[in-house]
Amino acid sequence: MSATATMSPADILAAVTAFLFEEAALLDQRRWFDWLELFTPDGMYWAPLRPDQPDPINHVSLFYEDAMMREVRARRLEEKRAWSQQPQVHAARIVGNIRLGTATVPGETVVHSTFLMAESRLSLPQRLLSGFYTHRLLPRGDGFAIVEKRIDLIDSEEVHATLEAFL
Amino acid sequence: MTRQLPAIDTLVEPDRVHKSVYVDPGLFELEMDRIFGRAWIYVGHESQIPNVGDYHQALIGREAVVMVRGDDGKPHVLFNRCPHKGAKLLAQPCGNAGRFLRCPFHGWNFRCDGRLLSVPAREGYEDTRFDLRDPAFSVRRVPRQQSYRGFVFASLAEDGPSLEEFLGGIRLTLDNFCDRAPEGEVEVAGGVFRVWQRSNWKIFFENLNDTSHPMVTHESAVNAARAEYQHRGDGGQMPFQLHIIEGNGEPYDFWGALEMVAYDRGHSYMGAIFTPPTDPVSLGHQAALEAVHGPEKAHEILSVQRHNSIIYPSCAPHTSFQQLRVIRPIAVDRTLVEIYTFRLKGAPEDYFQRSITYANIVNSPSSNVMPDDIEVYARVQEGLATDGGDWVSLHREAGREQGDGNGRYTGGGLSELPMRNQFRAWAEYMGEEA
Repeated sequence: MSATATMSPADILAAVTAFLFEEAALLDQRRWFDWLELFTPDGMYWAPLRPDQPDPINHVSLFYEDAMMREVRARRLEEKRAWSQQPQVHAARIVGNIRLGTATVPGETVVHSTFLMAESRLSLPQRLLSGFYTHRLLPRGDGFAIVEKRIDLIDSEEVHATLEAFL
Repeated sequence: MTRQLPAIDTLVEPDRVHKSVYVDPGLFELEMDRIFGRAWIYVGHESQIPNVGDYHQALIGREAVVMVRGDDGKPHVLFNRCPHKGAKLLAQPCGNAGRFLRCPFHGWNFRCDGRLLSVPAREGYEDTRFDLRDPAFSVRRVPRQQSYRGFVFASLAEDGPSLEEFLGGIRLTLDNFCDRAPEGEVEVAGGVFRVWQRSNWKIFFENLNDTSHPMVTHESAVNAARAEYQHRGDGGQMPFQLHIIEGNGEPYDFWGALEMVAYDRGHSYMGAIFTPPTDPVSLGHQAALEAVHGPEKAHEILSVQRHNSIIYPSCAPHTSFQQLRVIRPIAVDRTLVEIYTFRLKGAPEDYFQRSITYANIVNSPSSNVMPDDIEVYARVQEGLATDGGDWVSLHREAGREQGDGNGRYTGGGLSELPMRNQFRAWAEYMGEEA
């Protein structure tokens, strides 16, 4: 019996909202390794290239990362000679419109949200990234663990400058 | 007052080029006329437009064109402009236009080969110089277009070498690209990455065959991949994803053992010695090839090792991972790069899926490898704009290349031969007045 099974929808919504805000703060503070801990060992991080993309196997994705590839990214971002991180990229994001979705896997909680995030590096114009998060969560301890974080950028199919940090 | 452009013959020397070729907007405009207005430019692959009315947009220099499948079953490369008031006929990067191209402004209709079909309220044109059959009222076609094994190229010049003559020795790269498919054909599949670079298009072309940058530029990604492998700690074979990244950290000797091969007109490739594969995905592909051709011919096909071929000045096929990078200059300091992945017809699905993984690792805007490339290109662009020096060095192994007297040149794996070769072609295109 998962913890969420005994909670009211309002309590679940409050709990996932707190979780998403905490997650956003970790990313905005560049606390990559703390953020990695939020995932289950098999958890996936996926940003499809197309909104209607059926799978990440037969089509390229903006991000499609398991624990290993997420760790490579986190490590690279902190490497001394990551030239494109001189100076580092900084982001601030707002997560809103949080609502519970329908889980297809028993015990999971699905959360939909919308994000707006500004990214800044060098004296280049700030970049606005925006789209939709879909989190599949499992209860863990007092909170949750991420089974899958899916990001659908509204301009996923357009031309992009590099996307180095996690969305 | 118009500013005088520097004389072309003062900009390119055998072992160095003047910085203005990267930073002068006037020279960029001249490149659009003299290089992109003359050379064969890659437009797209026929498999991107399988059905009548399917279209794919492309850029030839500053010209927006569209490749459309006509009801004659053939691809037609047209300027994306209505002959009536000038509106762009098609706005999406690709799609299906239906049976006719219909201008969204006043409803002129064209066949998919560009010919004018009908105009509304036609009586208004009676007793005028308008003529339905006059090509001036049809969508203009590019002066020349030609396909090679499904790869469609176009030229804005009425005259010039044929596509095959233009390709010369780099044609074998396209042959091998297709021959690696058990059915001898390839198709675009799996989506396209499109990435901005804040730098001149030539910087990227040079880097495609630059073997002395990976261990320096990609140090961060190589270190991260190695650290991750050690952290995983099982000592077994390095996972494919890490291997692809870590390969950038090979020492100079590794790259020096490769062979650089260049051809007239700016084309080149990095060659490698064929090592028979041992991994199950490659072996599955090899078995599929052998089932069609027998082991001898399959080996012959696979032993053609051409990494990052350059078809100057528009694209770069990579036969080992079935991808084609398309380079579109947008401004003197802005370049669009598109990365297409291909399926080898008749090859096992996991072979295609591996090229998707490869593209995700190497070519995605989120790649851990590419950002440091794009960063150093931008730093070159900014550095060259300073007064810190007028010349860019191309001296590595200069003068040591061997020519065969027939437009083919070979050099060591670390040679800057491909860059010198590109600028030799650049100077030839640019030096020739209209």
